[in-house]
Amino acid sequence: MSFKNLFIEHQRSAEEQAWIDEEIAEQEARFSKIEKEMQDLAPQRDTWYHEFLDRVSTIGFNMDGDDKLVIKPEDLPVKPEGHRDRVVWKHGADGD
Amino acid sequence: MARPHIEPFCDRDVHFKNMLLPGFGRDMGFKMLSLDTDSGACSMTVQFGGGYKQAPGFSWSEMEMMVVEGELRVGDRSVRKGHYFFVPAGYAMPAISSEQGALVLMMYNTAEPSHVEATEHHPQCQLNLYHDVDSYMDIPWAVGNVTKPSVASGCLIKLLNYNPISHAMTFLYCMTPNFYQDNISYHDCAEESYHLWGTSWMMQFGDLPTGGYFWRPAYINHGAFASEFGCIALGRTDSKLFNHFHYNPWSTPVQNRERSGARLYQRDPLLYRWAVSKDHNHPHGPEDFETTMPRRGEGFDQAGARVSDGKQHSHWHGHHHHDHGHHHD
Repeated sequence: MSFKNLFIEHQRSAEEQAWIDEEIAEQEARFSKIEKEMQDLAPQRDTWYHEFLDRVSTIGFNMDGDDKLVIKPEDLPVKPEGHRDRVVWKHGADGD
Repeated sequence: MARPHIEPFCDRDVHFKNMLLPGFGRDMGFKMLSLDTDSGACSMTVQFGGGYKQAPGFSWSEMEMMVVEGELRVGDRSVRKGHYFFVPAGYAMPAISSEQGALVLMMYNTAEPSHVEATEHHPQCQLNLYHDVDSYMDIPWAVGNVTKPSVASGCLIKLLNYNPISHAMTFLYCMTPNFYQDNISYHDCAEESYHLWGTSWMMQFGDLPTGGYFWRPAYINHGAFASEFGCIALGRTDSKLFNHFHYNPWSTPVQNRERSGARLYQRDPLLYRWAVSKDHNHPHGPEDFETTMPRRGEGFDQAGARVSDGKQHSHWHGHHHHDHGHHHD
């Protein structure tokens, strides 16, 4: 997170650090719960993915605004072999 | 390491906790939405109880606030739902109170929540950045094409804050009933959203209802998109928003970032080659001469340096000087 805006130097008190530590611990638990719930959604998501591929190859893919391009069925992507469905990435491309 | 990916989360699923940090008034409850584990920057749903009072003062952090429900008294003004504040770090706000209570979003951008009692601004405060607006009553909805390629029609926005350096944005957005957009998107920036009302759907995460929230790091796939009955939400990005649309549901954040780099190479090949070919990867980015160049300063002889009255264009003198072997009449 970097809004790149003004930060005024100040001393963080022990009380504030303890508050942050407690919130970090709760956030870790919240993240784990979300990760599990999203894993459990995988079968439903697989159906949604295939419906999406059906739509973009029938009524079209939104390229820009309402401009649509119908994707040829032969150009649709193939699910990678051994792919484990995953949509929650703790720190995105920077890994976990 | 920054804020983790929190998506989806609904604040209706958890209870308010009492805010016990010093400086804040009693009867302030909060629900943590996301927290930067290094800086303490965070976004919270906050409930001010009836009779809440907070003394005048400033925060060490830049702060944004949106009234979701109820009414707040800010100095001698009453503000209601939809009122948005952008408060620079060190900006002394007047006393804040709520007679009947209020639900607000509070977003601390650069440090943990803090409130230092003061009636004067901190000397380092960038006062000119402060602004507030009744976003529901005083800003019209605009089409959502703030960036190209853009969202489909039916997704409208109201721009609330724009950082001209980082291009970070805060905005309201809404989706009309039956909105849908059939593409998968990712961005080169982090994105945050809080559903003020209504439900939207994303193909990876399912339904996001009222009180729904996400903090999504860069390069993570989201979409296709839909909203059956419509929704209104507050959105933010931490730098420039660019929609990288595609239709591969199985691409990973690493692949998406690679594709962003490939597109940068295709669009700005000279800049790309320069940036990656030499040792320009300073942690704070390359030097921007506008921030480092020597400037005249206050002690400079401004009058002695002048060559005109400041309104003169000596190149506009009505004819050309050129040598082409003949004379003008």
